[in-house]
Amino acid sequence: MSASALSGKTPRGAAGRRGLALGLYVAAALAAIAAVLVIPLSAYSLNLLMQAATYAIAVLGLTIVLGYTGQINLAQAAFFGLGAYSVALGTTAFALPFWIALAIGVLIAAGAGAVLGLTSLRLGGHYLAMVTISFQTILTLVLTNWVAFTRGPDGVPNIRRPVLLAESGPYLGLCIAALFAVAWFVWRLKTTKLGRAMQAVRDNELAANVVGVDAYATKVAAFTLSALLGGFGGALFAGGFAYVSPDQFSFAESVVFLTMVLLGGAAAPPGAVLGTGLLILLPEWLRFLKVIYLAVYGGAVILIMVFMPDGIWGYAMTLWHKLRPERPFDPGFIAPLALTRETAREDGSVILSVHGLSKHFGGLKAVDEIDLTICRNTVHALIGPNGSGKTTLLNALNGIVRPTGGIIKLEGVDVTRLPPHRRAGLGLGRTFQNIRLFGAMSVLDNVMVGAEQPHPLPTLPRERGRVNRNTLPRLRGRVGKGAGGLERHALAALDFVGIAARAGARVGSLSYGHQRLVEIARALAGRPKLLFLDEPGAGLNHVEKDELVRLLKRLKGHGLTIFIIDHDMAMVEQVADHITVLNFGKRIADGTPSEVLRHPEVIVAYLGEERPALSRSHGAS
Amino acid sequence: MALLELENVVAAYGNIRALQGLTLAVEEGEIVALLGANGAGKSTTLRVISGLMPPQSGMLRFAGRSIGGLSPGAIVKLGVAHVPEGRRVFPGLTVRENIILGGSNRERPGRAELEADAEKMFGVFPEIKPFEAALGWTLSGGQQQMVAIARGLMSKPKLLLLDEPSLGLAPLIVQQVYRVIADIRRDGTTVLLVEQNAHMALSVADRGYVLETGQLVVHGKPEALWDNEDVRTAYLGGRRT
Repeated sequence: MSASALSGKTPRGAAGRRGLALGLYVAAALAAIAAVLVIPLSAYSLNLLMQAATYAIAVLGLTIVLGYTGQINLAQAAFFGLGAYSVALGTTAFALPFWIALAIGVLIAAGAGAVLGLTSLRLGGHYLAMVTISFQTILTLVLTNWVAFTRGPDGVPNIRRPVLLAESGPYLGLCIAALFAVAWFVWRLKTTKLGRAMQAVRDNELAANVVGVDAYATKVAAFTLSALLGGFGGALFAGGFAYVSPDQFSFAESVVFLTMVLLGGAAAPPGAVLGTGLLILLPEWLRFLKVIYLAVYGGAVILIMVFMPDGIWGYAMTLWHKLRPERPFDPGFIAPLALTRETAREDGSVILSVHGLSKHFGGLKAVDEIDLTICRNTVHALIGPNGSGKTTLLNALNGIVRPTGGIIKLEGVDVTRLPPHRRAGLGLGRTFQNIRLFGAMSVLDNVMVGAEQPHPLPTLPRERGRVNRNTLPRLRGRVGKGAGGLERHALAALDFVGIAARAGARVGSLSYGHQRLVEIARALAGRPKLLFLDEPGAGLNHVEKDELVRLLKRLKGHGLTIFIIDHDMAMVEQVADHITVLNFGKRIADGTPSEVLRHPEVIVAYLGEERPALSRSHGAS
Repeated sequence: MALLELENVVAAYGNIRALQGLTLAVEEGEIVALLGANGAGKSTTLRVISGLMPPQSGMLRFAGRSIGGLSPGAIVKLGVAHVPEGRRVFPGLTVRENIILGGSNRERPGRAELEADAEKMFGVFPEIKPFEAALGWTLSGGQQQMVAIARGLMSKPKLLLLDEPSLGLAPLIVQQVYRVIADIRRDGTTVLLVEQNAHMALSVADRGYVLETGQLVVHGKPEALWDNEDVRTAYLGGRRT
């Protein structure tokens, strides 16, 4: 039985629709190209359209870096200029063919973008923005002052176009074809693994890391792609206008690019194209206003930004969703999920061992010389007063904070120095005390990000064979290749926690309890061996807590090991095989629930004398 | 006359109706608990009362005055303090600054008076006294919860809205918070409390309201709610000791 047959007709229908959409899109592109070839356009109109098309390609780069990945780039004009000057100098001073010069320009821009992206390791937010501004300024200075090479402020005239496309009409056709192709690429990118990783980084970088996304590599990729498109647009621009000069690629132009993408809407390619078209055409339309036209233009831009903060396209989409309320998601048949890379075996073997782990914040010893052993296929609870270091310990275990000292071994392998996404790849999953989901993405997309991990285990080949024999739907590779397999896997994870019906909803619209379940599903989709849950019961009522207890027991039944922090002692008592108690960063007790919960020191420091939760709640029946 | 009255209040997030004609009343000096499952509309009720969310229709009256449509700032000035779920401590301010900011609604407060009241809050929550100069974000979740409650009390409210005060707190601290809630009422503050922990809430409350899908299902004194078999199994959980 093939994978697609198992999942019913949904994927095939989606594939058919996608084929139809692509057909219509290609037809529209051809029609646009034919139109500019057939309709006689004035030189003025040709220039405007050429500018709009080449700018839009660069602005689509900003859709990737800003809209998808959430990083500020104030140097897009510099990348645009790198592409433009490569074609300008390449086809004149070096007498290279147009296409070779274009390729060089694209590569140089992409390389510069990658270097800029590399600085995002240590810098974020406005610091990163300042780095991009500095880069922009440096490039402008080089273009202006390195007269021997760039010809300085005079610029480069007589830039050549490719053979066969020397006339303006056909060349504009080329630019339009390129724009359609780039827009399609950027549109499709959003639903690829990289695209989802970008959005995850944008919405919550920390959570992206712990579900296995290499946030740093993702940001570098976003900057590289964005710069590549900037260079590509610039290269076509140089050919179109046959003349370039440094002032065309100044910081002010970078701001214009940024305004274009924000005005049109950074979330999707149509926004970039709309914004570019509007900002290029609007001044032309307003010229009849003579002296005040710039003021009106500025005022119009401000009004759009105030009333459509998500841009024109974002505004249109909001209206569209209002008119067409979301249909309930029909997942169809959902194949059961192989939850873990393990089979149930409560054999007392150690999955995680921690020796002398410390984390100091200045003088505060948040975690102080902790020893901890978690046995395979058990539920191990961590309790302690507020501020005793429980969450810090968890953060150290999965790599969010770097321990001051000590060793963490996962299945005998020292993981103390590994970053969070590598540990996720090794089978550590987790949820957060304050839910960290990718707020702007759908429930399904959130879980799909968790399902795709870049780093296969060293031991994976053997395991892959075993898993695949037992689980028919995932015949090809770990979770099935392509988005279809991922989607089925993510749906199965959602089904396991009981909320597959909400898969199509925006995750922000879910209730608190459901968001907790999505977070658990996202962790499960990564097929963890060891799952860390930070207060999963907080904010749930007793009915939901009972469901959570059943869920935890099912997870254990599937072979998972669970390390859980919670303050609900009735729940902890029901699920835990072993309890460790922290106070002031030190381990004060460790043992079975019955031992630990009677420990005098634990009662004094944590439980209190009354212990109402234990005697009264649902666990006591 | 009740201190707070809601009549047929309707509120919605986009297309989703969170409150579908809710009617309830809180008398002066009472502790009232709002109970019910996630998504039943408990937090929304508090948000509508404190003005964070405008009601679509219905009547809200506080101390005899209609407050429907007033801004959150105006409602705080009337004496309603809201301690929202999820703590929302100002991360870049110190604990002491966070707490003192809670007194922002007072008319021309003296610095000394605010400092003295903040000191009282550290008396209520001695656990956070050692961190008074620490920045909000450095605190653990439970410590932040204490700061949030202290900040709400600083406005000397007539009505205190508490959203899940026990969330994420160690059992010992939960007992302490509930002792504080009982003390607050003794000092003359009326409390409207949202809780998942029905046992705790009903142990201090005078009356409880149970909501489901934005509507009132049942209300009454804690004993009456406990004695109702259906209510107990569906909404309160387990048995009572």
